[in-house]
Amino acid sequence: MTRIPALKALLACLGLLTCSTAWTQAPAQPDLGPRLARAAARLDSISNGADRIGDYNTVRNLQQQWGYYVDKALWDEATDLFTDDGTIELGLNGVYVGKPAIRKYLYSLSGGKPGLLKGQLNNHFLRSPVITLSADGTQAKARWHDTIQDGIYGQFANWGAGVYENDYVKQGGLWKIAALHYYVRFHAPYEGGWTQATPASSRSYGKSTVKPTRAPSVSYEPWPSNFTAPVHFDNPARSDYRLLPAARTATAAATSKSVTELEAQVRALELKLDKLRTFEEVENLENTYGYYADKSMQDAISALFAENAWLEILGRGVFIGRDRAYEYMRRLGAPTYGTLFNHMQMQPVINVSTDGNTATIRSRLVVMHGVLDRTAQWGDGVYENVYVRENGVWKYQVLNAYQTFYTDYDKGWGKHSAGMFSPFAGYPPDMPQSVAYDPWPAPFIPPFSYRHPVTGK
Amino acid sequence: MNTPYLHRLLVLALGCLAAAPALAGDPVVTDSRIITEERRLAILETKLASLQMQLRQLEDTKAIERLQQAYGHYVSAGRPADAAALFSDDPAASIEFGQQGVYLGRKRIEQFLTREGARLSPGEIRETPVYQGVVHIAADGQSAKGRWRSLVMGGVHGQDGRWTEGPYENQYIKEGGVWRIHRLHWYTTVSASYDRGWHKQPLPISGPLADLPPDRPPTQVYK
Repeated sequence: MTRIPALKALLACLGLLTCSTAWTQAPAQPDLGPRLARAAARLDSISNGADRIGDYNTVRNLQQQWGYYVDKALWDEATDLFTDDGTIELGLNGVYVGKPAIRKYLYSLSGGKPGLLKGQLNNHFLRSPVITLSADGTQAKARWHDTIQDGIYGQFANWGAGVYENDYVKQGGLWKIAALHYYVRFHAPYEGGWTQATPASSRSYGKSTVKPTRAPSVSYEPWPSNFTAPVHFDNPARSDYRLLPAARTATAAATSKSVTELEAQVRALELKLDKLRTFEEVENLENTYGYYADKSMQDAISALFAENAWLEILGRGVFIGRDRAYEYMRRLGAPTYGTLFNHMQMQPVINVSTDGNTATIRSRLVVMHGVLDRTAQWGDGVYENVYVRENGVWKYQVLNAYQTFYTDYDKGWGKHSAGMFSPFAGYPPDMPQSVAYDPWPAPFIPPFSYRHPVTGK
Repeated sequence: MNTPYLHRLLVLALGCLAAAPALAGDPVVTDSRIITEERRLAILETKLASLQMQLRQLEDTKAIERLQQAYGHYVSAGRPADAAALFSDDPAASIEFGQQGVYLGRKRIEQFLTREGARLSPGEIRETPVYQGVVHIAADGQSAKGRWRSLVMGGVHGQDGRWTEGPYENQYIKEGGVWRIHRLHWYTTVSASYDRGWHKQPLPISGPLADLPPDRPPTQVYK
């Protein structure tokens, strides 16, 4: 049965092949010129729009990367995020201009050299970006919330909060920080918290013996004054701002291109958009994991893992495969009255591989743990996760959570840090913990899955 | 002639055909089984339409992130009018916090935000970073849903501070090309004293405001 249509097709093809070379007068061809030009223009416009999304993602990553460097007082890496004539202004300590001044100032925040002091904590949660790109796509502004946990073990601990209003610029294809300005809302001892903040405690943030280049750019009093850091953006529901710039006027792209040329460009554009969609999908995946983990939903969580995934949380050891992930999560226990197990996910630095086949996220975990009338804890960690597509769906290939600290709420991180979480009793891992380290106050920097966004190192 | 052999021949023939138009200079074969330049262009146009859709979805996702984050900054800054302006023109647009009931339409939303959600009295603080977004755009690009969360640092200077935490399940609508919040629903998970912590002094979820009763009772009753 299959042979007859196949044979017919073959004969038809051979016939046509013979004819095609014999024809001397081709039938009138439709003029594809105008359609080709329209397709080229459309392709150009989509590609331009995709680049804007890429710029948005890069600026978002850049500022969140800043947060991870600041956490560990990696001041050289932090300084290298700036333009040569960049500026930094933290709180009410004046403006430092140019990379040498920025570096010297940042060093002064940890005793004159990079790296945390002994027992120093310097966590900065970078959240809630409102990013605005300039019409020409070479500059950006962004407002962020920053929440700070700092202190020195055995000495003191603080909560801090405020907003950044920062400027960015694209130089030679690389986004950099042009001006970083943190407006301090409060900075206050853990004991008593923010409602006991004093002008002195809030002004202590970013304080240095290094003389600034110039005085603070804005004069204000921290909370409880009613000062609000100036907002760079117009109300999004009332403004004409769009991520996409107005359509560009006819460009070189509109010059005639062959179908073959356009096909190659479309293939490249398909990959570009696929990677941008991956960025969104893995972020959704990461954040969804957090909501499921809040409620110990082992069925839903394990479905987020690839068949042969690697699961490693704190010092519990390595569990291989989706089924093991399921059992792991099941052991955390269903939520009951009086228990709290919040797994808050924030600050995702997302990178998609050049070929689009894998993605990585460095992100921050903040845990609110509690048992009514008995105990409450803050937990803090860093994820370095890897994602792959399994049957077209993005899933975890590796979930690796590094323990920064777990501390009793009643004491705070200035006074207490729990030891490394050990393997479950009666549920041994497939492999021991892959990276040996001690939690804070021991100095440990979870390895970075990405290179420095500016230096490439 | 067995079938695999026939197939190999067929592939060979098609291979010759694909080369034929190039040999002849122009795609003179207009048979529909042959991929003419016009056909290739048509396929390309279809692909571009699909890519345009994908781009629009990405732009929508970013616009919604910006809209939702602006909300958090306005609340933190105590700017209820700006926060209310982010909502849809639809009279069915709504806001609902914890067990405080539902307020309908932008005017009522602004009243609620001015009275409770985004007002800062002297000495008051409500740091409201919004994060952990999971956003899905509807296929037609006209509506969207987003789950987010906030951990709020609240209280009045000199008194005990307050932690409140919980997720949002929000809906968005595109009006005249602009994304707006159609429904903002914030669920309270934790409300607790700062000094004593959530293990020792969890606080009850606030109920409906006596002096500004909601338009509807809570959509879901929980503790």
